[in-house]
Amino acid sequence: MRTPSLDRRHARLLVGVVAGCSVASLLVAAVGRTGIAQRSDEAPQAVFDTTHLPPLLTFPGERVHLSYEVQCARQGVEDPESGCKVTGTVYVRNGPRDAFRPLQLEPTTLDGLRRLTAAVPTDVTGARGFEYYAEIEAAGTADRILVPAGGADAPHRSLALASATEVNLGVHAFGFVTPGTRIVSAPWGDGPASVGLESGRNLPAIGASAFDVSADGTVSLLDEAHRRVLRWQSSGGAPTRVPVLIDGRMADMSLDEDGSLYVLESVAPPGHTPLVRHFDSTGRELDAVETAERGASQVRIGPDGPVVLQHPSHQWMPVAARVAPVPPSDQRRSGRIGRPLRSGAEMVVLQREHEIRAALVSSRGVERSWRVTSETPLAEVQLAEPIGGRVVVVVRLYTESASEFVVLVLDRHGVARTFSTPTDEWAEATPLGRFRIAGNRLYRLGSDARGAFVAAYDLEAS
Amino acid sequence: MPTPRSFVIGLIVGIALVAAGSAAAYHTRFVADNCNYAAPTPTSYITRDGSATVALRARYEGYQWAGGCWNDNDHDDSPNDPHEDPATGGEGGDCSGFTFKVWRESLSTSDASFQQWGMLRHVHGPYTSAAFKAGTGAPNTTVSKAALIKMDALASDGHIGLIYATNPDGTDQIIEAKGEDYGTNIWTRTYRGSSSYSGVRRTGWSS
Repeated sequence: MRTPSLDRRHARLLVGVVAGCSVASLLVAAVGRTGIAQRSDEAPQAVFDTTHLPPLLTFPGERVHLSYEVQCARQGVEDPESGCKVTGTVYVRNGPRDAFRPLQLEPTTLDGLRRLTAAVPTDVTGARGFEYYAEIEAAGTADRILVPAGGADAPHRSLALASATEVNLGVHAFGFVTPGTRIVSAPWGDGPASVGLESGRNLPAIGASAFDVSADGTVSLLDEAHRRVLRWQSSGGAPTRVPVLIDGRMADMSLDEDGSLYVLESVAPPGHTPLVRHFDSTGRELDAVETAERGASQVRIGPDGPVVLQHPSHQWMPVAARVAPVPPSDQRRSGRIGRPLRSGAEMVVLQREHEIRAALVSSRGVERSWRVTSETPLAEVQLAEPIGGRVVVVVRLYTESASEFVVLVLDRHGVARTFSTPTDEWAEATPLGRFRIAGNRLYRLGSDARGAFVAAYDLEAS
Repeated sequence: MPTPRSFVIGLIVGIALVAAGSAAAYHTRFVADNCNYAAPTPTSYITRDGSATVALRARYEGYQWAGGCWNDNDHDDSPNDPHEDPATGGEGGDCSGFTFKVWRESLSTSDASFQQWGMLRHVHGPYTSAAFKAGTGAPNTTVSKAALIKMDALASDGHIGLIYATNPDGTDQIIEAKGEDYGTNIWTRTYRGSSSYSGVRRTGWSS
């Protein structure tokens, strides 16, 4: 039986709860509205951005024009056709020992796109190539863009190819593909040996975004949707699971020789750049570092640690040196046009619609180079990497309705071996994460409606 | 009179209840509080440069399925929207709404004229990515993928993105409204070579 005093206490408690709930509702509503109102009242910001496709590899006597497309819009002016005036200077030199020479960039318009351009004098292009960087300025402001971001400290290089080996692929015959030997398969799903698809209405689906293979043949597959790595030993069996604290969106990955792994996340929070996270072999996070530039498309292991291909500079930049993270400012100053290989050499690739130029470069200069032409349109170069005395290039060929990867094993005489593979891209993965080389084998990440898989190709076989 | 202790308990319970209610039926007020339905401004010409500017102003502004309204503060004002709900009223366009606005098209599919939509105009336009892929509508046409240049598009049955630049390795930098978890930004993509994607062009650019 309740006493009157207990009823009064309950009544006071009830009144308190009701009053508290009411105040809480008002507080939450006020905070939410204030937050949105404050953010959306901000004035429109200026647009100022430049893109440039560097002529990384040129032939003797080839006329070189440098072109910079510039987007510039004044602050507070929403009319997109009301651009602002831009000017620019490109600084060129023969080599590292020479002084930079300024060339005024001239404004031109082509296809409704504003460009700043300059022809490189033939006395600068030289027998070994040249170096350059550009400064683009929005007139009347302090806004300035350096291209590449490292400026004089890490200029773009254009290397001269004096004696490239010519390879003509002719017209590609689609439909004759080598699927490879499936060494690893994982169904889509949430089970312990399954691979997840990212949530949302992604079409195509996104999942199993990257992989890598260690020297002993162990395959590691980044199951980003489940924030883990699935690891298959070459001896077979079920995969082990290594949890990794990542953001769960499309990411690239590379394994270091010590078994640790680097994950390059493709989506950055506002005001930040993509993040490279370093985990040990058990998934413990060791450190993380932001990239120098807004775009980052690949992480690979160079001679001193991980290197990331960054855009819009289109340069490979170190993000760690002997394990220690490299801050963005130092990344910019260390940009290279070629991918630094573990051996210390660099692989430089330039793709055009019907042509690929590839060069293996050492400290002495271009060691070997190839010019691959094709009557069938060429898309992205997925991989270019030496193996023994040869270089393996994997490029996608396409028509309006078909697409295949072509593997080229190149030597001094031309194509030592070639075959085609299916693309098998039911699910979207990181754009340049489809192929890896370990030992004498080429590995390919693919997916179909059932799941993701890795196929292997023995490059020594005839 | 309520006791201070009961008031504090009530305050905590109230905040928890309001938060739980919001999570169960998330619905941002971005569109309701910021967007408008003003008529577009007809323009006599459009350039690819101008459309690139429209696209860059939408960069970092989030993604909203069936959406098409954003400001320019480089911040998604309605992050973490539920994925499968086109009616959450969040900031940003979806891939086809973003393309429609960047290409400055008309709501009438038979009209190829140029219409400048304000950033805060809430409009998606009449085209899905599949419709763009097919070249549906007077302003749109299919074009060989090898011939695509800046501000042309690559479209599949489920997605469309605009070419912003080309990389030395043959990939493209695509500016796109990718998804709720991704927002609107520029990423390296390999859509050009994919057999799922076709080339699409807005007609009538001024040079």
